[in-house]
Amino acid sequence: MLRANGLTKQYGAHTALDRLDLDIRAGDIYCLLGANGAGKTTTINLFLNFVEPSAGTVEINGIDVVRHPVATKQHVAYIPEQVTLYGPLSGLENLRFFAGLALGRELPRERLLELMTQVGLDHAAADKRVSAYSKGMRQKVWIAVALAKQAKALLLDEPTSGLDPQAASEFSGLLRRAADSGVAVLTTTHDLFHAQQTATRVGIMKRGRLVESLDGEAQIARTDLQSLYLQHMRA
Amino acid sequence: MTMTISIDPPQGRRLLSVMRQEWRLMLAERTLWAVGALFLLLVAYALGNGLLQTASRDRAQAAVAQADRDARAAQRVLLDNILAGTAQPTPFENPADPSRMASGYGGHHAILPTAPLGPVALGQSDLFPSQFKVTGQSRVVFMNPSDIESPWHLLSGHFDLAFVIVYLLPLLIFALGYNLLSAERENGTLRLLLSQPLRLRTLLAGKLTVRAAVLLAPAVLLPVAVLLVARQAGLAGSPGAALWWWALLVGAYALFWFALVVAVNAFGASSATNAMVLVIAWVLLVLVAPVLLNLAVTQASPAPSRTELATRQRIVTAEAMKRHADLMSTDYQHVGRGAILVPRDGKIEIAGRLLGNYLIEKEVDEAIKPELDRFDAQQAGQQALLARFSAVSPAAVAYEGMTALAGTGTRRQARFEAQTVAYHEAWKRFFFPRIDARDALAPADFDRIPVFAWQEEPASLVRGQAALAVLQLLVPSLLLFGLAAWRLRRFSVA
Amino acid sequence: MLTSWIARREFLERLRDGRLYWAGGLVAVLLLTALAVGWAHQRAAQAEQRTAQAMDYRDWLRQDRRHPHDAAHQGMHAFKPEAALSMLDAGINPFIGSTVWLQAHRQSEVKFNAAQDATGLQRFGNLSVGWILQVLGPLLVIVLGFNAFAGEREQGILRQTLSLGVPPLRLLGGKAFALAGSLAALLVPAALIAAVAVAVGAGEVERLDALLRLGAWSLGYAVYLGIFVFVVLGVSALSSTSRMAITLLLALWIAQAVMAPRVLSELSRAWFPSPTRLEFNQALGAELKTVSNEVWQKNFGSTERWGRDVPLSKWGIALRLDDQASYPVYDRHYGRLWDTWERQQAVQEWSGLLLPILAVRSFSMGMAGTDFAHHRSFTTAAELHRRHIQDLMSEDLVAHADPLGDRHFAYQAAPDLWATVPPFDYHLPHSGWALRHQLRSFAVLCAGLLLAAAFAAFAASRQRAL
Repeated sequence: MLRANGLTKQYGAHTALDRLDLDIRAGDIYCLLGANGAGKTTTINLFLNFVEPSAGTVEINGIDVVRHPVATKQHVAYIPEQVTLYGPLSGLENLRFFAGLALGRELPRERLLELMTQVGLDHAAADKRVSAYSKGMRQKVWIAVALAKQAKALLLDEPTSGLDPQAASEFSGLLRRAADSGVAVLTTTHDLFHAQQTATRVGIMKRGRLVESLDGEAQIARTDLQSLYLQHMRA
Repeated sequence: MTMTISIDPPQGRRLLSVMRQEWRLMLAERTLWAVGALFLLLVAYALGNGLLQTASRDRAQAAVAQADRDARAAQRVLLDNILAGTAQPTPFENPADPSRMASGYGGHHAILPTAPLGPVALGQSDLFPSQFKVTGQSRVVFMNPSDIESPWHLLSGHFDLAFVIVYLLPLLIFALGYNLLSAERENGTLRLLLSQPLRLRTLLAGKLTVRAAVLLAPAVLLPVAVLLVARQAGLAGSPGAALWWWALLVGAYALFWFALVVAVNAFGASSATNAMVLVIAWVLLVLVAPVLLNLAVTQASPAPSRTELATRQRIVTAEAMKRHADLMSTDYQHVGRGAILVPRDGKIEIAGRLLGNYLIEKEVDEAIKPELDRFDAQQAGQQALLARFSAVSPAAVAYEGMTALAGTGTRRQARFEAQTVAYHEAWKRFFFPRIDARDALAPADFDRIPVFAWQEEPASLVRGQAALAVLQLLVPSLLLFGLAAWRLRRFSVA
Repeated sequence: MLTSWIARREFLERLRDGRLYWAGGLVAVLLLTALAVGWAHQRAAQAEQRTAQAMDYRDWLRQDRRHPHDAAHQGMHAFKPEAALSMLDAGINPFIGSTVWLQAHRQSEVKFNAAQDATGLQRFGNLSVGWILQVLGPLLVIVLGFNAFAGEREQGILRQTLSLGVPPLRLLGGKAFALAGSLAALLVPAALIAAVAVAVGAGEVERLDALLRLGAWSLGYAVYLGIFVFVVLGVSALSSTSRMAITLLLALWIAQAVMAPRVLSELSRAWFPSPTRLEFNQALGAELKTVSNEVWQKNFGSTERWGRDVPLSKWGIALRLDDQASYPVYDRHYGRLWDTWERQQAVQEWSGLLLPILAVRSFSMGMAGTDFAHHRSFTTAAELHRRHIQDLMSEDLVAHADPLGDRHFAYQAAPDLWATVPPFDYHLPHSGWALRHQLRSFAVLCAGLLLAAAFAAFAASRQRAL
């Protein structure tokens, strides 16, 4: 579903990403770990065509992202670390708008309310202005957009940062349900606990390169993720 | 995995979504209300002002024309009475005497009427004379600005629709659009938008359309509606065409500034930087460039000296007076011999001095013609130069275009002056042979005295000029959009 | 001491961030261009005017023998001399003529204004030093000073400064000095160049007066820009962000520099309406006729023009009576018209309290010698000269032509009659006169400065540190 082949990104002399190979299939929850500046966000940006690769290819659902940037976006839903919506409008109105952009058609009000309920926002909140929402609530609206899109791939950038443990746990549940229904998930995170709990595959990045790869929940459960991570960071 | 053939997601509905969203956002924010209301107020005030001033000018002109008609009628009655023997003419107010009727006593006005679109751009209508009292005198005597207006007022200019559109519309476009893309990026919503199958150009188009609608509705629809009603600038025919061209001109001018806004946003700087760049561009293009252009044109092609003209006129008059000194020293014979002033057998005696004055004016007119032609040629040259280089400033192009459509521009003025000269020639052709032959004026002749009939500019000329102005605005707009497109390719969302 | 420290630091900072260079540089280039153009134009106009006036008088003297009435009809021209400071501010001169034709029986208005030969772009403005200072000057102040307080607030520096116990008014004083200093760094050299240009351009006799005028003129602009220094600082102090400050300031600038002159001009015309040409002519003509009829009735027993009761032997007297009777009528009507114009201008000057550009515009023109008061002085002098010519000619006719019985126009005066008419010798009023006429606008400017300073002081004391 999400594939990178020899993906490289250079900013002048600085190499942000060095020959990354990834193959994330349907049902995978791939957690990308690494320090700040390791290249995690760059990877996400490359999948979204927010930047163009210096070398290598990046594909979503078999379609080259660089050649068909707009078409590939139909198949992927992106959830950034900070979700800012249009403050003067309500959560429902924001959802309607973004869902409309995502699908190319307007969804009926009932469906929108259904989505809101699905992510845990009640109807009263739905009609309040987004400027009054908490970070968690804004993220929920965005997840509703992602659900509406019914995309085959999910890209998440530090999704649990700033969330309290309960919200983080709810989030993990959401990811698992998505993966079970055949979505390929790529998430970057600092949260080793969350990674250990949720991921089916783990990758550790350091200075633009993938230095460690763990496949399968069994392997992940066996590994002391924290030690492994720190080991790589110190090396 | 098989390579699925990608179908580019259709942008039509998405465009509508963007437009609806923009509209809702602008309604929710106070900026739209403030900007829209302000603009509406300005347009209404400017339009009202224009209508008022044009109406008062129409009234003044009508009064002048009426005064002429009344004077002529009175003269006709007097003539009838003189011929019937019931009235005695006086030497200087004798309707039977062609030399008197040719002069100020019988002079008639050439009037330049206001055009249907006059209220839109008052232009130079207060500076350029719109009426001349045509007499047998040399045209250097009567073809001068004759309206009395406070020079402070002339200096200040008008608050008309052309001013609001040329100066203020760009600022309002900036107010609504300076952060077209930069706001989305600074808020963080740009990533959210572009993570959907939405083309950047669709987003831009949606945003632009809503803003354009908000600003162009009062700028175009309101004046068109008002002018249709107030000035009967009908839908069909030449005045109607002028209205459509004006709408196009305003649209093209607005398009230029929207293009600039998009181009500036395409460079990806912060909202504050965008705003600063746009304001500087406005200062340079709207305030400074036309002034510099004006200066350059007048330096390159300066007007001949009016002082020189005055001197030349005096010299020529003096020489002519010398030539006819004998005639000028003949005395009036009418005292105690009133019958001299009455026509006899279709002939009338013209006093020596009056004849002398006539001959002097005739000669002055011929002698001064090359000077006046020089002025006309220079004026035309200046206009040509201006037409060529005004593309430097879209404000100059738009303003000139609007005054041309409103009928207050230099070209229509030049046409009026040319027609006045032609009328003057016809006037002379009617009276001068009669003076030379001492033919008295009969009532039937009165009906044949030439009357000034204004020939409006041909519609094709107006159309062509307007089309050129629109083109001169579209080309830089297209260039700016091209620049924007090029920069947007490298637009960093992250 | 504290104030000067603050001022010095501010000034250096402004110098370093480059604003003074590019914004100031741009304005400086425009100023020098305007000065050069104005200077060239003034020199050419001055030379032309002097030659034309001399030639005109010489031709008057060299007239052959002819009937004095004809000489009066041909008349003389009066050319308005170029004001010494017209290179800085052309004022109303492009819109009003500079040549008066002094001819018999008619109070002539000036002919040939430059505006009738100008391009359609004239309405955008004529590039002059005055225009640049009036319109772009405040913009320069805004660009240099909009974030004086607001920027420091955003960066957190203001909080630190105030926490040190610096009195806000001292802070304001320092910043005001710095801003004024930045402007002075730019404008004082330009003023010196202008002074040299004016001194060179003025004749020997007028040099001192021209420099005095320049001094007053510069003072007026200093007050004008001072108003903006305080307004900009005040708004900066009140605004929570520099973006808000500059938006507000730009809106104010556009309202006052671009919109207000036009709006006020039309409002003042609505308040004190002036007649149309036709109305004026008709009113004037009607009164002239009445007065003339009265005079004729009294002296000749009839109002029939040039009929039986006025033989050729009375034509001299008749002409003189007509002219003398008409003088007060002309004075009344033109006086009323010009007073109306001056009242319109007064409205605009008063509104200068809120819209300083209107007050400074009037003051600038007044001190430069290119305003309506100066023009009125010239046309009045020209008219007096015309009447003098007319009276002299009439005297001569009464003395020589009237006694000729049934002849009148056969009389031809000798050239020594022409010599009795003095040349038109007009000198522009001196600076004291100009200042007296501009007291109102200067007072308004000073009042504006006080208001602006009060506003800034209020804003600075009330401002939030955060």
